[in-house]
Amino acid sequence: MSNLILGVGDFGASNSPGDIVKTFALGSCVAVILLDPGTRSVGMVHVALPDSSINRDKAKERPGYFADTGIPMLLKQMSSMGCNVRKLTVKLAGGAQIMDPNNTFNIGKRNILAVKKLLWQHGMGPVAEDIGANYSRTVSVSTNTGEVVLSSPGRPPWKI
Amino acid sequence: MPMTIDSSEVLKRIEDAPLLSSSASRLLQITADPEHSLGEVADIVKTDAALTARVLRVVNSAAFGLISTISSIDRAISYLGERLVVGIAIDICASQLFDKPLTGYEAQRGDLWRHDLRVAIASREIARLAPQDMAVDLAFTGGILHDIGKSILSEFLTGTAQSVLETIEKGEAQDYLEAERAMLGIDHAMVGYELARKWQLPEPLQQVIRFHHKPSEADEEHRSLVYAVHLGDIIAMMGGGGTGSDTLQYHMDSAYTDYLDISVEQLTMTLLHVEEEFSKMEASLLDGKDGGT
Ligand SMILES: [Fe+2]
Ligand SMILES: [Fe+2]
Repeated sequence: MSNLILGVGDFGASNSPGDIVKTFALGSCVAVILLDPGTRSVGMVHVALPDSSINRDKAKERPGYFADTGIPMLLKQMSSMGCNVRKLTVKLAGGAQIMDPNNTFNIGKRNILAVKKLLWQHGMGPVAEDIGANYSRTVSVSTNTGEVVLSSPGRPPWKI
Repeated sequence: MPMTIDSSEVLKRIEDAPLLSSSASRLLQITADPEHSLGEVADIVKTDAALTARVLRVVNSAAFGLISTISSIDRAISYLGERLVVGIAIDICASQLFDKPLTGYEAQRGDLWRHDLRVAIASREIARLAPQDMAVDLAFTGGILHDIGKSILSEFLTGTAQSVLETIEKGEAQDYLEAERAMLGIDHAMVGYELARKWQLPEPLQQVIRFHHKPSEADEEHRSLVYAVHLGDIIAMMGGGGTGSDTLQYHMDSAYTDYLDISVEQLTMTLLHVEEEFSKMEASLLDGKDGGT
């Protein structure tokens, strides 16, 4: 039993009993969480930007950084682990914003839109989400229970 | 609100805060002057043995991966850039402030320093991208110092994070800054400004610290610099590098476009740039702190 800690732009998955898949302090970034109850697998990608066209080299070096390159990589990994990618449960967290009535710099919102569009192209959609608003989120998921627990400084932990 | 305390108690704590070393304060003065030379910076570093040793440790740290050891201060400074040298000088004399765990914001030890470094990198990049008449390295130093008031205010805020967030959610306070004022009679920007005056920091840095959450109120002369740090702060928070409960609990002033010629696309690139630079710089600065090379 161990912790799989994912930094910005990382993706990973585990099906070892007792493992915790975790990512810290999502601001405008989005964690895409994929659960396969059949094999008790948990996958996650910590996406920072919507579209890899902004920097192709970065996308090669770290595909998890972008929604359009990160999600396909995670799906590929989970499928190679024996998950049925057609039956994955999807949950989303993150995509926060600074308070701004003018919505000037809305990376959080653009990340969420890009993630949802990509999932939709794969015939997938989230069953639960905690997205937007203006607080940072830490996400941890246990392979035993598949429970997605969120926390944020100054708030009691909650589940989605 | 759980408590109200007199701001004079907070101000008393500023008097007890550490002083800047004379080399740090001279470095800040000189680098705020757009006409200064790298030689002047080197001359100050050479008079300070502790600073000299730290600068050499950082430049020779594993993070930079130099093939041969650098032993000359002039070469070390031109390699590191003066912004890092100034950052090291501030950290040597004020590390007790930067390394505090900020319990009032429910942040961990090191979170403030890491946030400041991210803001510094972002602010400098914004200053570099926006063709403005300002010293880009001053934006870096401004980023390092902008939230210094939190290190003093934090202990007075212990145990308040949850109720502060509720007041903001209910709209009783506009942002975290206003909630701090409602409770303590003073906010972290103003506490930082008082400290900046005690340290006799150059005027532009005082302005950055005081107005980083409301840049439109800064003196016209320094407003573009203050806007650069305002945006740098937001980029750091969006990238997940905040200081705990106050992360993203502020407003963005979109009038920055009147002072900085920078596109949303460029701001997005800056988010990526911070991510890359931060890990490199953090590793080298920590290596230098540990004392080993
Ligand atoms: Fe601040
Ligand atoms: Fe800040």
